[in-house]
Amino acid sequence: MNVLLVYLLLVKATMTSFSGMASLPQIREDFVQTHHWITDDELSRAVLVGRASPGPMGGYVVAVGYLAAGPLGAVAGWLAMITPAVLVIPLLATVQRWLHLPRVRSVVDAVVIVGGTLLMPAGVQLARDALIQLWRAL
Amino acid sequence: MTTSNTVNRARMKPSITDSRRNIGREMPSLRQLSWVVARDVNRTVGGGNAAMELLRRTFTAHGWFDDAAHGVIVAVSRLTPGTNILAYCTAAGWRMRGWRGSAVSLAAASVPSSIVILALIAVVTRALQYRIVQGMMAIGLLVACVLVFSSSWALLRPYVLGPRRWRALILSGAALALLFAGLTPVRILLLGALSGFLLPAGRSAVSGAASR
Repeated sequence: MNVLLVYLLLVKATMTSFSGMASLPQIREDFVQTHHWITDDELSRAVLVGRASPGPMGGYVVAVGYLAAGPLGAVAGWLAMITPAVLVIPLLATVQRWLHLPRVRSVVDAVVIVGGTLLMPAGVQLARDALIQLWRAL
Repeated sequence: MTTSNTVNRARMKPSITDSRRNIGREMPSLRQLSWVVARDVNRTVGGGNAAMELLRRTFTAHGWFDDAAHGVIVAVSRLTPGTNILAYCTAAGWRMRGWRGSAVSLAAASVPSSIVILALIAVVTRALQYRIVQGMMAIGLLVACVLVFSSSWALLRPYVLGPRRWRALILSGAALALLFAGLTPVRILLLGALSGFLLPAGRSAVSGAASR
């Protein structure tokens, strides 16, 4: 098992998604369908662990790396999870440098409003999942 | 961990990168920053939105940055590939303590949960068969849900209660309509950014304050 390849495939998935679980289709295609390193059942277990654990939902890539390549695969998964976050620094530095311009301020304001709005359906979905899970548990 | 000594030491060593922006503000020490991030990120389940709200409360309560700066960092982290909460922590750490702050925040946000995931991977499937575990998970999700709504309101409040509330309400309504029409959140965010670029609203009390 080539750990570097595991990292590159995982980072391809995390770099091309914009939220924790959005990388799932790409990971399934590469790890389950193309390379057969893990099964669908193992991928489901990884997602379950990511959902049940505290912290970022994207943490399931650590479990995917572990299931595919053992402890070194877990390290590759962790690196793939944190690699895209580094991009935020040049992005934030650029935004702050130009924030005095009305158009840039307006773009940031619009993204904040849209981002805040999109949290509401996410919250509703989370509440629905929680109530269904609670109902099953009772 | 959050002793006055650590705060005072941090005040003696302001960030070089952000020294102009942080004048007059108490900045956390690296140890304090890592503790706060690890604590707030790793005590919620159900994703990073709840953790962002906990971090916002902690950062603003300590006076490390304000809601306006939080809004800008949230906006930028949502447009960064990967996991939003990790981008948020990296950006917040960078803003407060420069490169070292970003590295410490990123590690504090990602390492503990990764260790928990590795510890759980072998046993979680069995453990979740027990109803008591399922019930505890559900209660954790409900708490996260409350934090998500609180986070949403914290972001929208300055706009909805501000002088350009109609603009904010129209933008919010359009975002919800596009979501229900099947567009992905990233595309909606990009369309929102495009609308902001094409229709600048003049001086904003929110991001304008963050730039100072």
